[in-house]
Amino acid sequence: MNEETKFILKKLVFYAFIFTVVAWIVIPIIISTLYGFALPKDYYDPKKILPTSFTIKYVKTLLITLGALDGIKNSVIVALITIAISFALGIPAGYAVAKFIFPGKDTIKLSIVALRMFPIPVMAIPLVILYIRLHLIDTLLGVALAHTAMSLPFVVLITSSIFAGVSKELEEAAMVFGLTRLGSFFKITLPLALPGLAAAAMFTFVMSWNEVFVASILTLAHRTLPAQILSIMAGASGGAAPDYYKFAAAFIMILPAITFIFFARKYLVTMWGITLK
Amino acid sequence: MSRKIGFAGVLVLVLLGAIVSGCIGGEETTSPTTTEQVTINWLSTQLNPPEERAFVQEQLLKEFKDQSGIDVNFVPISYSDLATRLEAEEQTGEVTIDLVADLHGGLDFFNSQAWLEDLSGKTLEGRTFISTFEKYATIDGKKVYIPWMSATYVMVVNKKAFDYLPAGLTQDDVMKGTEKWDYNALLEWAKNLKEATGQPQLGFPAGPKGLLHRFLHGYIYPSFTGYQAKNFDSPEAVQMWNYLSELWQYVNPASTTWDAMGEPLLRGEVMLAWDHTARIKNAIESNPDQFVVVPVPRGPKGRGFILVVAGLAIPKNAPHQDEAWKLIDYLTKPETQVKILENVGFFPTVQEATGAIPSGPLKVLAEGVTAQSATPDAVVAMIPNLGEKGGQFTDAYRTAFQRIVLKGEDPETVVKELGPQIKALFQEMGQEIP
Amino acid sequence: MKVKSSYIPYFLILPAFAYLLFFVGYPLVQALYTAFTQNGHFSLATVRKTFTDPYFWDALKYTITLAGVIVPTQVALAIILALGVNRVFKGKDFTIYALTIPLTISDVAAGLIWYSMLSPSGFLNKLLLNIGLINNPIYFFGYQYRHMEFLAIVLAELWRATSIVFVIILAGLQMISHEYLEAAEVFGADYWTRLRKIVIPLLKPSIQSALIIRTLFAMQIFGIVWILAGRDIPILAGEGFYRLTELKEYDVASIYALVIAGLSIILGALYIKFMKAEYLEVRG
Repeated sequence: MNEETKFILKKLVFYAFIFTVVAWIVIPIIISTLYGFALPKDYYDPKKILPTSFTIKYVKTLLITLGALDGIKNSVIVALITIAISFALGIPAGYAVAKFIFPGKDTIKLSIVALRMFPIPVMAIPLVILYIRLHLIDTLLGVALAHTAMSLPFVVLITSSIFAGVSKELEEAAMVFGLTRLGSFFKITLPLALPGLAAAAMFTFVMSWNEVFVASILTLAHRTLPAQILSIMAGASGGAAPDYYKFAAAFIMILPAITFIFFARKYLVTMWGITLK
Repeated sequence: MSRKIGFAGVLVLVLLGAIVSGCIGGEETTSPTTTEQVTINWLSTQLNPPEERAFVQEQLLKEFKDQSGIDVNFVPISYSDLATRLEAEEQTGEVTIDLVADLHGGLDFFNSQAWLEDLSGKTLEGRTFISTFEKYATIDGKKVYIPWMSATYVMVVNKKAFDYLPAGLTQDDVMKGTEKWDYNALLEWAKNLKEATGQPQLGFPAGPKGLLHRFLHGYIYPSFTGYQAKNFDSPEAVQMWNYLSELWQYVNPASTTWDAMGEPLLRGEVMLAWDHTARIKNAIESNPDQFVVVPVPRGPKGRGFILVVAGLAIPKNAPHQDEAWKLIDYLTKPETQVKILENVGFFPTVQEATGAIPSGPLKVLAEGVTAQSATPDAVVAMIPNLGEKGGQFTDAYRTAFQRIVLKGEDPETVVKELGPQIKALFQEMGQEIP
Repeated sequence: MKVKSSYIPYFLILPAFAYLLFFVGYPLVQALYTAFTQNGHFSLATVRKTFTDPYFWDALKYTITLAGVIVPTQVALAIILALGVNRVFKGKDFTIYALTIPLTISDVAAGLIWYSMLSPSGFLNKLLLNIGLINNPIYFFGYQYRHMEFLAIVLAELWRATSIVFVIILAGLQMISHEYLEAAEVFGADYWTRLRKIVIPLLKPSIQSALIIRTLFAMQIFGIVWILAGRDIPILAGEGFYRLTELKEYDVASIYALVIAGLSIILGALYIKFMKAEYLEVRG
């Protein structure tokens, strides 16, 4: 075997590897989408590996009649409130960690890192009692407050790393030219950090959008999408859902995710890189 | 200065969040300010699976809205959640539920807590409720609920299975539910089927959302011990569990994946199955010539089976009682009742509708149900009612099944452990043990 | 830029810190109270009830076993993927895009997707039946096929969450300076030597943190198991959920919450011990 065939063979193996990997990720998505629109008779036909006749009936029923559309709306509202509150609380903290030197900073940073690890979703169980008392049970605000607790440590860590990336010299120059500290924050630091913050908002959005445990425990009628789907497919009240409803549900849940990552893919890799480091 | 503005910013954002969520996240208010348009909240433990919900919302409630102009917010809910929520609302006095649909036992419990309106004075034109149901619905002279639907659990037989009947048992015995059609005969039959076809041909809905627990507490327990729970840890019960473990050898092991038996019957994975009428309806409908519906077998203490009666009740101080009554009126009309039977397989509670069952697949179903109710050795069970503890009752039976039949633990140990727990549940709720 | 008013940073941090403290502290105290009292008196009855329930031990066992099987496999897979992708080739962008798709897919959706692959009438079974490799469908679901159900969960979870580990490792790989590698190449080190002597040691922090983060999140595993296996394979979060929502046993559910919290605190302490040095400096 000469060098050249060896090279080609190596290349072939490499591309086979890449192909397998991509297929492993993509095929399940394609299959569940196809099945989501398949007629049950095709799905139950053992001879038909791929369905050939399609219907939008089940997706439509799930969306409209069974309330997945409301679930989507609720999920968006919860995610937006979560972003609003966690940014309102997280940006100042992130800024302080990035730009100030003060006694106890290391301890505070470490505790935020540690809090990120705390199973806050599970803490929704004891939270139920308080929520009933405060009339927060089954409200979107209640879910968003718990989601904020879950995402806040991440927001602090991401924003602090974004602010640390904004050069000190620029800010100092601005202050030399007569801007106050706050002025330089709004005129210099914030605009420079904006793309990073947008990515952080997306990260928070996805976190809240996908969370199911808290949402299932704290709501009954006002459910977010994952909680809604979980209760239809495996909840105490739902259940006995025929398979084709499961596939339709899978489609409804992955479509926004795939669209989202297509538009946000540039930021996502860096973002997850920072937060999960 | 900086912190002032910063703080103000935080405050504004938090408030904004609160306002946004307040507007959209709060209870769906039935704002009566603008027009006469009202939305009534109907919480139901019945018709919860996706296809049944779709039928309620796309057909029943649409037609109701066309006729009355009233919007209905149909909320499927589990029994324990319904109990919790109704209790909270009745205790605080902020009632938002206008109508509840639940089984007889559950409504009986709600009534005992004084959470339901008395419906005695009201009348519904043009229908006669079947007297048994009427009797159930009247508790201590109070009309607690309006009977809405009834159902039971039956056995479905693929006609091919009749070729493998054990000696001494005839097709007629099975169809009519005679003395000879007992649990031992079922065991022999299932054994024959497995030996003849090489595959176990008996199926139960033992999946996570299946209704196997109803078979346990309402069918086989009363058949062997005479009661649902009273003799939970008796020697007869141990004998029953031993029987079930033996029977399970001839049960398709995929049973633990099945929530409803209609599909496995259609796919030909089993020839004999037990399930709720609503959950086998699609098999009968698709192939009415292939299947028959038959009574369940009997045991030493009789033929135990559950009679399911679902009723409609109005919570005390419900905000839209007149509109809720209109919905009750609509849901119990003979035409609506026939529609419910045709679409979701629940049986009518009014006589006018019973007479109107069309021939064809539904007749097959109805005949089986009638044959079961007509058996002379019937031990009728009603699903018990334990408020928010209801989940623990069914959980105990499922746990016993899992530990004894699937894991092979000693039945006596398990029933001795779980029996006191079940009995304690009834004592805690101040109820007689069924 | 001298900061005179030294209380400013504390003031900026306080709201976030107070918020987190409340959402961690309050539920913890409430859980302890609910779990250890009965009618206002200290009682171990609930603890006893939970610990004598076979489901509790099964849940603990399965949660740990799942983590033990899934996490190391994920990390190994992610390292291979990251090393494979971290070079110039045609279709690199698309490959990375495909590999990151599961990042935004929730566990519930991932469970449903894999159900369509593995159900008795699903893609895999029909494919194998039609090729003729099997005569009867392989059952992946149901209590009597628990080991297959376990496998289904592992497959789905590998599919969903390997992306996260992949991204962490890839980010770590991209930070390794090319100069090291080039220097090593000049000195005649082949690919494997470079990998073993330079890349893997430099990747160690990324690998460690990926390991610990995934282990911690694995303690809370819920949606994917609930969709694919229900309670056939009990897990801690799922049992807590079931006790709370279906049985209304607030006290027992609280113990499950406390056990998960306890496990996480132990693992988190390990994490801090390992990572401390890493986080003392802000990194961009």
